[in-house]
Parts: sequence; C-alpha cells; structure tokens
Amino acid sequence: MTTMSIPELLVKDGFLTADNREKIERHSAETGLSFIKIALTFGYISRKNYERSMLEAGYEFAQIRDMEYDQAVLDKIDLSFANDHLALPLRAENGKMITLMASPDDELFADFIRFTYDMEPEIIVASDLDIIWLSNKLIGDKYVKSSVFELMKRDPDSSAVLTFSSAQLVFTFVIIGIVAVGLVLSFKNTSIILNVIISTFFLVAIIFKLFLALVGSRFELHQAVTKEELKLVIDDELPIYTILLPVYKEDKLIKKLIWNLQAIDYPRHKLDIKLLIEEDDDKTLNAVRNLDFPAIFEVIVVPFHMPKTKPKACNYGLHFARGKYLTIYDAEDIPDTDQLKKVVSLFGKLPSEFICVQSALNYFNRNENFLTRMFTLEYSYWFDYMLPGLDTLDIPIPLGGTSNHFKLQELIDLGAWDPFNVTEDADLGVRAYAKGHKIAIINSTTYEEANNEPFNWIRQRSRWIKGYMQTYLVHMRNPAELVRKIGWKGFLGFNFFIGATPVIFLVYPLLLTFFICYIIFDLSSIRTLFPDWVLFMSIFNLMVGNILMIYINMMAVFKRRYYELILFAIANPIYWLMHSISAYKGLFQLVTNPFYWEKTNHGLSKVSNPTNVVK
Amino acid sequence: MRISRSVYLLFITCILVIYYLVAAVYLNNLGYYNHESLFYIEKALIVFDGVGVRLKVMGLTSPMLPFMATFAFTTISYTLAPALASAIGTALLFYVIAVTLIKRPSQDFYLYILLALFLFHPGILYTACSGKGGYLVLIFFFLFFLNLLKFYRSNTTFHVSIASICLVTLIFCDYKFVWLTLFFLPLVLAITIHSLNLGEQESIFRLFLSFNSPSLRRKLVNKTFALYIILFALPLVAVLCYKLLNLTHANDLNYFNESPYATWNVLIDKLSFDQQTTNTNYQIPEVSLLLSARVLLFCPMILIAIYLFRESTYQVLTLLTPFAFIEFLHLKYDKVYLAYEYYMIFVVLAFLCVMFKSQTVKNQRVFKITLAVTMAVQLYAGWYFLKTSPIAEDRNFLAVLTNRTDDKTQADNMDVASYINSLPDDSHILMDDATAYGVVAFVERQKIRTLTMPYQDNFLSGVESPDKAADYIVIATAKNLVTGYTQLNNRYLVSIKRTLPQVIFKKVYETDNWIVYRVVK
Repeated sequence: MTTMSIPELLVKDGFLTADNREKIERHSAETGLSFIKIALTFGYISRKNYERSMLEAGYEFAQIRDMEYDQAVLDKIDLSFANDHLALPLRAENGKMITLMASPDDELFADFIRFTYDMEPEIIVASDLDIIWLSNKLIGDKYVKSSVFELMKRDPDSSAVLTFSSAQLVFTFVIIGIVAVGLVLSFKNTSIILNVIISTFFLVAIIFKLFLALVGSRFELHQAVTKEELKLVIDDELPIYTILLPVYKEDKLIKKLIWNLQAIDYPRHKLDIKLLIEEDDDKTLNAVRNLDFPAIFEVIVVPFHMPKTKPKACNYGLHFARGKYLTIYDAEDIPDTDQLKKVVSLFGKLPSEFICVQSALNYFNRNENFLTRMFTLEYSYWFDYMLPGLDTLDIPIPLGGTSNHFKLQELIDLGAWDPFNVTEDADLGVRAYAKGHKIAIINSTTYEEANNEPFNWIRQRSRWIKGYMQTYLVHMRNPAELVRKIGWKGFLGFNFFIGATPVIFLVYPLLLTFFICYIIFDLSSIRTLFPDWVLFMSIFNLMVGNILMIYINMMAVFKRRYYELILFAIANPIYWLMHSISAYKGLFQLVTNPFYWEKTNHGLSKVSNPTNVVK
Repeated sequence: MRISRSVYLLFITCILVIYYLVAAVYLNNLGYYNHESLFYIEKALIVFDGVGVRLKVMGLTSPMLPFMATFAFTTISYTLAPALASAIGTALLFYVIAVTLIKRPSQDFYLYILLALFLFHPGILYTACSGKGGYLVLIFFFLFFLNLLKFYRSNTTFHVSIASICLVTLIFCDYKFVWLTLFFLPLVLAITIHSLNLGEQESIFRLFLSFNSPSLRRKLVNKTFALYIILFALPLVAVLCYKLLNLTHANDLNYFNESPYATWNVLIDKLSFDQQTTNTNYQIPEVSLLLSARVLLFCPMILIAIYLFRESTYQVLTLLTPFAFIEFLHLKYDKVYLAYEYYMIFVVLAFLCVMFKSQTVKNQRVFKITLAVTMAVQLYAGWYFLKTSPIAEDRNFLAVLTNRTDDKTQADNMDVASYINSLPDDSHILMDDATAYGVVAFVERQKIRTLTMPYQDNFLSGVESPDKAADYIVIATAKNLVTGYTQLNNRYLVSIKRTLPQVIFKKVYETDNWIVYRVVK
C-alpha cells in the first residue's frame, strides 16, 4: 500500500490536476467538507477513476452493507458530519474502532474517532455511496422521523394526515342528505336547483379563468429579470444554492441529469446539489456508481419510512441543505441555464415577504405524440397565463412540482413540505400565502418530459387531482380563518382555482353525457330539468366555456411560438375527459388510500433533450 | 391641489355625458325617433313585460349588443332607453380614446382636437343622441384597431387576442362587420412575412425569400395559419354558434339577420330599395369607386394617417382594409345606401392612427396646424354629408337638431299607441310587430300583455280565427309603406271575411297608416 496521500495519488495518476487539487483544498477549508467528498461530488473525478486509482494503490473496497454495528457507537456521531466526511464508525473491536471511510487519509475524521471513542480507528475503505447508504440507514432515523412528523407536530392544522375533518364529513353528509330528501320530495325542482348551482358554478369558473388568462397575458412582455440586470450579477457574491433532486428508480435519467446540471450557469463550488435516493432504490444508486464521468451532486439516501412520498424525501434532504436558496428539479428537467442567477437577482429586488419564486414549466418532447402536445398546450396556458394572472391579482399560487425556488430559512420556518399531501407543492404555495408570505413568477422556463403514455398520464394526473382535493380540504377546515388570512379575493381565488378544478373534472362527463343523450336520443324528459333560462345558461357554458378554454390554450401556444400545436387545442374536450377519468381515480384514492404516491415513470420519451442554453 | 390627468378626463367625460344626455332627452321630447331605436324599445318591452317566448326575443334580436345595452336604462324609461344608452356610450367612446391618448406625454393638443370632434361633429352627435347602436360599433372598431396596432408594435399575443375579442363584439354590434375578416386574410400573410426574421426589408422580396426556403416556408405557413386562428377563430366560432342558436330556436340559420322580427334593417332596407326604384326622381346609389373618394372627403384626416404609416406596407394595408370593406358592402348590399356610421368609423380610425404616430413627426407645429385644419374640414363635411344624406332618417335628425321643432314622423304611430293604451286591460289586440314595432314602442308597459304578436304561440291561431283569440286587430292601411310586408293588411280582412263570414270587423280608430278594428263576435 502506498504512503502517498489520496490527493497526491490522484494527481500522480493524472485524474486530478494540481490546480484542481488546490481548488478542492481551498473549498474544503471553507466549507468543512472532506477532500474526497468535494472531489467526488463537485465534478472533479469520477467514482470509477477514483476506484481505479485506489485499487492500483493497493486499497480494497469492502462490501459493508451487512456489517455488524453497535448502536451506542452510532449514537455518538451526527449524520451530517458522517456525510460530509464520507465516513462512519461501526463498532469497537479489539480495542479499535472499526471505521468505514471513502478516503483512508481523512485525518480530521480519524481525530474525531480518537477523541470521541478514545481509541484508534481501524479503517475499512468502502465506496462512498455504500457509506452514505449505510450511514443514512443507521443514523438517519431522527431526520426521517422529523421529515414525516415535523409539520404534523408543529402545525397540525396544515397537515394532510387527517384527510377529512369531522366538520367536513358532517357538512358533506348533510348536503348529501338534503339533496336526497329533496330528490324524493320533488325530483324535478331539486334537479333544477342542482342544475342551476352547477351551471352557475361552471359559468363563474369559466369567466374567472378567462379573466385570469387575460390578466396574465397582459404581462407577457414583462420581464421579472432583464438581461441587463442579469449582467449585473457578480459570481463571487452569489450565495450557495441548494438543488434537491428527488428520484426514484430513475436510473435511465442519471446521465441526462448530469449534462443538464452541468449546463447551469452558476459557480460550481456554490452549488449544493443533492440527489435524494430512496433506501430501496438500488437501481438509481448503481446507476450513479457506474457513471464513468464526474458527478456534480451529492447523494443522500432517504431511509425507509411511510409515507414514501417525494415531499418526505425533500424534507429529509432539507436537513443537509447548505444553501441560502433552494430549488427542486426532477431528474429529467432541463432548466434555462441562467435560471438560478435570475432567481438570485429577483430575490435581491423583491421585498422580504417574497419567499418563493416559481419558474415556468414546459416540455421538450412536445411533438412526440397527441398526449405530449396536449400536455404542452395545458402547461403553456397554466404557467404562462394562469400563474402570472394569479400573481398579479395576489391570489395564492399553487406551485408547480419543480423549479420553485425558496429562501431556505423561510421554507424551514414554514414547516417545509407536507409529506402526507401528494401535491405538496400546491399546498405549500397556499400555506405560504396563508402565513403572510408571497410568491413571485419569473421569466425563466424549465423543460420537462411530458408524459407520453396514457396510463402513466392518468396515474400522474390522478395524483395531482387527489392532491388538489387534499389541499382544498386542508385549507378549508376553517374557512373563516382562511378568509382572515388571505382575504376574500384570495379565498375566492383559492376556491375557484384549487377547489373548482377537481369538481369541474368530476362534473364534466356527467354534463357531457346529459348533452349527448339529449342530442342522440332526444330525451324530452331531460328538457324538463332545463327550464328556458337554465338551458340558456347551460348552452352558454357548453359553447362559450369550451370555446374560451380552447382559445386560451391557443393563445398560450401562440405566445410560446409553438404554432404547430395551435389546432390541437380543439381536441381539449377529449383531453378533459382523460382528466375526468383521473379525477374519479383520484377521488377514489382520496377515500381509500389518501397518501399513496402514484409514481410517474420518466424517461419514456424517445426525444433527445438538448440543453436549454439561454443566449 | 393639482388634479391628475385621469381625474380631469373623468370630469370632461361627465360633462360630455351631461351634454349628450341633455341633447338626447331634448330631441326625444321633440318626438325624434328612428327605426332602430323604436325597434329596440319594442323588443325591450317584450323582453321585460311581454308574455310568451321572451328568451327567444332576447337572444335572437339583432344586433345583440346595442339591443342589450338599452336594458340598463329601461328602468328609467323605455322610450328614452336607447337614447340614454347611446348618449352614455358615446361619452364612453370619448373616454376610451382619451385614456389611450393621455398615456402618451404632452398630448393636450390632441385632446382639444378630440374634444372638438366630440362636441361639434354632427356624426358624433347623431351617434350620441339618436339611440342607434353606432356608438358600440365605434368603440369596438376603435379597440380592434388599437389592439392591432399595439400588436404590430409589441408582437404580443395579448393584443392580438384582445383584438379578436373586439372583432367578436364588433360583429355582434353590426353583423356586416363579419365581412371585414375577408380583407384581413391577405393582410395576415403580410403581417407574418413582416414578422419573419429576415435581412431583406422589402415585403415582396421577403415573400420571395420565405417561399423559396423550405424551413422559412414551413415557418411562414405555420405562423400565418396560427395568426388566422388566433384572430379569426373566435369571431367565426361565435357566429357559427349564434347561427346554430338561431337554427335551434327559429329553424333558420340566418333568422337574426333576415327576419323582420329579429332585426330592424331588413324591412328598412327593402323599403329603401322600393322607394328608390319607384321614385320619379330616381337617385343612383353611390357609385362604387366614388365611395372611397366620398370617405376621403368626409374624413381627410385618414390621408394623414396613411401618410404616417407609409413606411410599413402591411400597416398601410391595415388602414386600407376599411375602404375595401365599405366598397365590398356597397357591392354586396347594392340596393341600400351606405349608412352614416360606416363613414364615422374612418373618423375614429384616422384619429387613432394620428394619435399613435404623432410623436414620430418632426415638425410638430406644421403637423398640428394641418390636423386642426383637417378637423375643421371634417366638422363641416360631417354637417354636409348628414344634410345631403340619401337616407331620409339621417336628414331628419339634422332637421330636428337644427330647427328644434316637433318631429311629426312618429305622430301616427303614437296616436295608434295612445288609442291602444286607452283600451281595457283585458282586451286582446292582434298586431304584427314586423311592421308595427313603431306602434308597440309607444304602448304602455302594462298594456304589452294585451297585445298578441308573432313571438307568442297564440298569434297564428289569432290570425286564423280572430273571433276566438282577438278583440281588436291593428291593420296596416293601403297607404302605409310597409303594408306589403305584413300579413295584417287590408287584404287580410278580405280573406278572413271570406273564411269567417260571421265575423264582423268594426273600424274603431283610424290614422293614415293604421286602422284599429274591433272584432265583433
């Protein structure tokens, strides 16, 4: 075995330049991270090369997952410290402390062992990923418990652990009872009243959405951060930026992920990128292990704990985040390269109550098939018109699943994500508003992979709609309190945007069936449920509502210059039927399995995704 | 304390509202009405106080928006409602234009010009005080072109979609504007060619370049098509839906545009044609090519507007589309004269263009003098055109306005209406409002229920067997110009006497145009 230090060894083998070694050492001194941690997670050396170098130097990598451990030993070490040094003491044996280390020459950690356990370490060299896996599994328990139960303990009213409150259940059953009694006593009049309520609701929701879209589109030329402002950003003054990448069985996307992350225009040493891998997800872990080029992210293994949801993983990652700001990307995301700098610049301009900035989302594989086209139409209208509209009117914004950038400390104060809510992002947006914070929209886009497979799409959408229902139920436990917190405008906006969305999709197929039966079978009995003016309103909804929603979709893709998609907007009524299927699935799950996370499979697209360089 | 420009503007608008209201009410008191306002009054009475298929009347009466705009004022007075709507609407037009104007700095001069236009131009006074729906046409025409010009400047989807929505509303203010879309078809191509990122500046060469490169060609086709959709999808679909609504409710796709029960100008246009062809001093409708020349005389400011936009072919083409539009109207509706409101759109358009481009003019002094002179010419041309208008209604307005003497045009209708008002509340009076809407308009609201008219299901049975369903029948006399357009004329009496010899019709009231018969059973 060589007597050379690991940095020297790596330089000698040509895997590291002297210049880079110096950089790493400087970085290590600044942050307290070990040399090898920086080398392996900030893109200096690939794991393969490191392993090669170590093997040639006579080191052997042990298989450590099933090794014995002593809980008393483990109790004395903090997970962050172990993660930062890629090392873990396991047990005392023969007067020595059996210590797993990715780099055997980490003197600081060896000293820690000596001082803490009063014995010399016996070093076992192991893969950094295995050490991370084991350390998170063995000593991550308190963090994972905190990730799951923190919000529930601190702010039980905001947690979706309770799906229906007693008052909500009573209210729902009283309404059902009244309707049932009404139908028995006077079927016709009750049906007409129901019809009027539904028609009025539709009408208001449609007009509200059109209004939002027009308000949103009014500001399409507005740039939250201009090119000139971006030029004023000084690299040396940029804060550390944490990027959380929660993944589950995304082994196919790891290479793409690295390319996309490398394209981000932000000083590398100021990025704190964390790939959050579930404990049982060996596929992804092995994909990272087998990378033959340097990774620029740190792996965090999330110990097993129910519910197995993305927000729980994010909460877990949050414990180790070092940044001033934090964002979340999915594995397949391609953010605009200047997005992080833009966000920093925008946060610098905004008043302190703004704690989150949402980027627009869109799709890189939009022309792949019908579904991806429809999805692109929908996202274009949602992120380019609806959210800016809500932003302008100061109505709670349901955050998108990724590319929402937070101030880290404020996010923690807010209670972070609710692990029991399957659209934790939308919930967090509303909660932020309810606690007096604000959310801004930025002129930067992250390109995602649109779901191109119908069943996968329905799974994903059912989760979203279920999450909207959960979010609605959570925040409507005490409507009077909600009004007090977010005002009438926010309250109505919340009801017509978050509350109305699942309801509309649930009711849509029923009304469509009515209409089709009326047209095809000419059922005159249906006519009795539609007195003249109700019929007028219903026809108005059917025609004007459909047309306007289609038109708004057209406007959005026109704005994005996706001219080839414009006619696909006409197919929206069919696409909405798919929403309805998902809504019923979501409703069913809300009752039977509210915390179940319908996993969306990514990496199905065959479209290559060029990095989205902003010129 | 200095008041802000917007408050100042609101103040001027309020003054204008009062000015127009005073004029409108004064003219109304002199007895001034026109066919359009009478038609709205009559339909509003049916909608609010009638008995029968009122929803159909409300939904299918055309033009829809000017008609519905009168609803807000029916609580004050049915007979005044259209005039009140037009007075307030015209002041709103001023406000819309002026708000656009004051967003630009140091525009006081243009505000004075605008004010002069709104105070003295007879066309504007006609729009404001007549109760016609022209004010809505002018508002949405202005907004349509304003948003189009803003789109040219900023290339934003917002403006093009707002322009599209304005086009929809414009069509529902006057269906003839649907033909305006025809002239935007080539224009959209020109706009797209202009928006392509090419080094070549000359439009024709840009077209040549983009047609000869496959990628540019694809882009051009996609973008042109997308722009067509964004601009025209809403108007076309809205019209289609409206036509379907007509089909389902009236069994006729074009009911709103062709039935005298749905719109006022069907009958008036026919009447105008009849008068033209039978008059001894036969008047030739405007000669086609001279129509544009007449517009230039009426609104010379449009020449300045075209001059200001001379550097951009497609923008000049945009300004020329209304010319093509009126020429087309003249060809399509060759039996009628071009209404005064179509001349007025040029006044609004010219002012918009001048306002939009005024800051690009270097010699502001000369420019302002030229504008002031053209405005003076326009004011005079406005009076002259109204005075010599081939449409009798236009001339009548000017006559009442300048002479301030009682207008006797509707006296006959009023007399019949006051007789109907004096009849018992439980009587049933059969009348055909295709021609007699002028009479119905003056009937008191509580008496509307005594009338049996075609919108009601029992009208046909009333016509077939008046002895069972009617106590009185209002018949158009042979002298009445519209006698040929109604079933209830003197020929009807002859035929019904033949089929129901036992029924006796007793003449109870007679004017030049109408006879009221009592049905003796």
